[in-house]
Order: sequence, then C-alpha cells, then structure tokens
Amino acid sequence: MSALPEQKAAAAVREGQVLAEVWEDVVDVKELLLSLLISTVGALGGYIAAPNTPPYPLVCGLIGSVVAFVVCAVLFKPKRNLIDEEV
Amino acid sequence: MDFIVVVQMVVAAVVAAILYTIIGVAPGTDETAVLAPITLAIVLMGVHPAVILCFFISAIIAKKLTDSIPVAVAGIPGGVMAAPMVEHAVVLKAHGRPDLSMRKMASGSVIGTLVAVPVSLFLASALVPLAPVIKVYANQLFLFGAVFLALMAREKVVSLLSIIPFALLIQGLRHLYWGIEAVPKTTTVFTSFFLGITIGPMIVNILELFVSSKRKELLRYSYKEITMREDAKIKGIPNPFKILDRKEIASSTLGSLIGCLTFFMSPVGMTIFLGETLASRIKDPIQKAARAISTMDALTNATYVSGTLIPLIALGVPLSPMAIGPANALFNAPPRFTLEKNLHHVMSTGDYILPVLIGAAIALAITYPITVKYSTKICRFVFRLVSHEALLGLFFGLVVMLAYMEAGFINIWGVMLVALVAGTINRWGVNYGVQFMTLYCAAYLSKLVVF
Repeated sequence: MSALPEQKAAAAVREGQVLAEVWEDVVDVKELLLSLLISTVGALGGYIAAPNTPPYPLVCGLIGSVVAFVVCAVLFKPKRNLIDEEV
Repeated sequence: MDFIVVVQMVVAAVVAAILYTIIGVAPGTDETAVLAPITLAIVLMGVHPAVILCFFISAIIAKKLTDSIPVAVAGIPGGVMAAPMVEHAVVLKAHGRPDLSMRKMASGSVIGTLVAVPVSLFLASALVPLAPVIKVYANQLFLFGAVFLALMAREKVVSLLSIIPFALLIQGLRHLYWGIEAVPKTTTVFTSFFLGITIGPMIVNILELFVSSKRKELLRYSYKEITMREDAKIKGIPNPFKILDRKEIASSTLGSLIGCLTFFMSPVGMTIFLGETLASRIKDPIQKAARAISTMDALTNATYVSGTLIPLIALGVPLSPMAIGPANALFNAPPRFTLEKNLHHVMSTGDYILPVLIGAAIALAITYPITVKYSTKICRFVFRLVSHEALLGLFFGLVVMLAYMEAGFINIWGVMLVALVAGTINRWGVNYGVQFMTLYCAAYLSKLVVF
C-alpha cells in the first residue's frame, strides 16, 4: 500500500466539488445533473429527430442514448478510490 | 427454424452476455431497472421472438454470474439479488479466503442454470393445461398477488394500505390522458408507468438532493473507498464440478430444484430463507459460508430462469416476481405484445428450447471462465472506467424517451409522478412486487372501489 486511505481521499476531492451518495454510490452532484441532461437530450433528441416511421425513432433514440452514455463516461470520472489489499 | 434467425440469436446472446457482464459488475444496479428498459427496447424494435428470448436468457445468466463479482472482490452487492450473499462473502474475506467466494458463487450459478433450464421446460409443459383457467381470472390473480406479496413483505401494513391509492394514481393518470386527449381511448399507458416504478428509488434519491433537510444526510466528503484483492491464479478452463465439493453440489442442486418449484415466490426472500436453512447445521465458518454462498447463487439463478420461463411457456401471464419485473417486456409491451398476444402466443413449447439453450450456453461459455479467472481485473476495469453518473444518466434517458414514446410530453411528467410516489413507498418497505402487481390490476381494482 502506497498512501493511507484518508490522504488519498482528501487529495481526490477538488475545491468546490459537491459529492453525494445516490443509489449506493458516490457522485458529483453537478456532474450527475449534467449527465441526466446529456442523456435526456441524447435519447429524446434521437427519437424526435429521426424520420417518423417505425422503427427509426426508437433505433435513433437508442443510438442517442449510447452516444450520450459514452460522452458522460468520458467527461465524468468515477468517484471511487480503489485500494489494493494484500492477501 | 431459419438459419438467419439462428445467427441473429447467437449475435444477440453474445451482445447480451458482454453488455450484462459490464452492467452486472457496476455497483447498485437493480435487476429490474437494468433489464426491463433494454429488453423492452429490443421487443419494440420488432426483433424475431426467438431472438428476444435468447437475448433475455443470456442477459439474466450473465447478469447473475457477474453481480457476484463486486460481492467477492469488494464486499458490495452488484444488485439487489446479490445482497444476501454479502454477509457470507465477508466471512470468507475475514478468514483470508476471499478467492473462494467468487469461484464458489460462479460455480453455484452454473449449477443453478444447468438445473433450471430442463426443469423449467418440463414443469412448464406440465402446467400448460392450467393456462385457460388462469387467463380468465388474471385480474383477480394480480390483485391476490399484490395482497399476497404485501403480506409476505417486511412492512405489511403500509404495503397493504398502499395498494388501492397506488392503483388510483395509475388509473387516474390514464383517465387524465384520455380526458385531455393526450392519447386515444384505445391506448392504455402501461410500460412507462412500469419503468417509473423501477426508477422510483433513484428519482426520489436525486430529488432529495434538493431538499435541505435530506441533503445533509446524502452529502459525502470523500470518494467511495473500495478495497480490492488480487485474483488467485487458475490455469486452464475452470470446471464448476471440481471447484464445488460433493456436498456443495448436492445442496446447490437441491436449492435450484426448490427455486424452480417456487418460481412464483420472491427470489430474494427464497434465497435468504433456503440458503440459510441448507447451510445452518455446518459448524466450520469457512465451510458454512462456502456452502451458503454456492447454494444461494444456484438458487437465485434458478429462480431467474424458472420465474421467466414457466409463466412464459405455460401461462402467458406474468405470474412471478421475475416475470412481472425484469422479464415484463416479454409479456406486455404495447403495441407489440399484450396479455392476449405475447411471446407465449407466438411461440409453441418446442420453439422455446433452441433459443433458451443457445442463450444459456453462450452466456455460460463467455461469462463463467472470465468471471472465475479475471474477476478482479473486470471489477477494476468497470470501477475505473464507468462512472455512476453515466449509468444513472443512461437509465434516466431511456425512461424519458420511452415515456415520450408512449404518450407524449405530458407523460414524462406523469412518469415522474409515478416514480416519486413509487420510490417513496418503496423506501418505506412497499417492494417492487406489490407495486407491479398493483399496476397490473389497477383498472380492475379502481372499478371495484366505486360505491
């Protein structure tokens, strides 16, 4: 083990970052709201922008969701500290 | 069956196995919330029924195998169903044998699948004659189911009291949509209310961030700490029958059989009850934990498979917690599937065998060796790469889109209302089972309470 867990944790939190526990895991509140917004725009945007004959709206909505998911995963990093344990 | 359909089934099974290996590992992902929306989307895309079934079977088996990974590696459940196993995994960890957990659980899962697939197919064909009777009394059965599950729940009184108000909320929204002509009178909004229930706890949790008194409890000042350990090296292809000893195989098989017979019961409840019972007489803590963990995993896997297949093949009505939850889209996904015309009606009993076998075989072949050999690496990969923000966003976005699709912009807010109520009563102990059964009998029950 390199550093003590407390030091690692303290170093990871940025100035002005608001963290909260939502659904069993820690998130950055601002990033979560942005992520909800991006995902909604991706999914709903894809659905509405597609030509209005089935199954295009649903397919485009799903593609939009996946693109938004990748964007969010790239933009927002996990708020987890992984600590290795010696067995 | 068409060669092209078989190829599609294989592709669907591979995609499902990979997708749900990743989702299974991510912490805090509820089975219904992650399986239902994606299955629904696939149904509505108009894919061949056999391909849908193959996708779903592969998805549940992969999800069940991999949601044990964070339990073994980090002591946190990868889903609701994995929660009962945490206690025993912690025992093994404390005794310096965390490597045992993963291998025992994954091997238990394999036994569960191997038992459940043939037993479910057999049991389902035996129950087929019941189908016409059950169809006539579907409404009554759902109401009975809601009351029954409420009585079985931890919080019985609030569960019972919530049934009628919750039914009125659902039916009230439907009449509102008809009244202001958001949807034609022939459209009964169902799916998006269902999804509203599944993401209820998450929506309530997010909204609480804006309630000053609740906000304090949710705020954190450090990242989530997860302690991980390295994999023990295993050479070659792991064999579940060597990893489990004879007694573990026996109790896993027995657990799986009972799990199939009690397909209509709550899987989590049965898992806790049977897992503890079958392991209670063992004194040695390591042996006891290993027995409990392998049996529980076998049993949950068996109830997943049987809870989906038996109602689907025999009845065509979702009369099990599994069928009414994660597998719901196979039974009811308007406009494509309704209770009068779903997978049950378009496939004969023989048609089920191939997709189920392909789905199960591919999920086991891909996920089992990976799970046993590389559990820590996968866990590390998902924990480092996939943020919780992105996952929550994905499910939220899907629900918003499907709500819009079913009844337009107003329904996004209607679904938020359902989610808010469902999530709040869920917090109080009214479980998903009670809420889903109520959703199904809402129209019938609302008429019953008019005097």
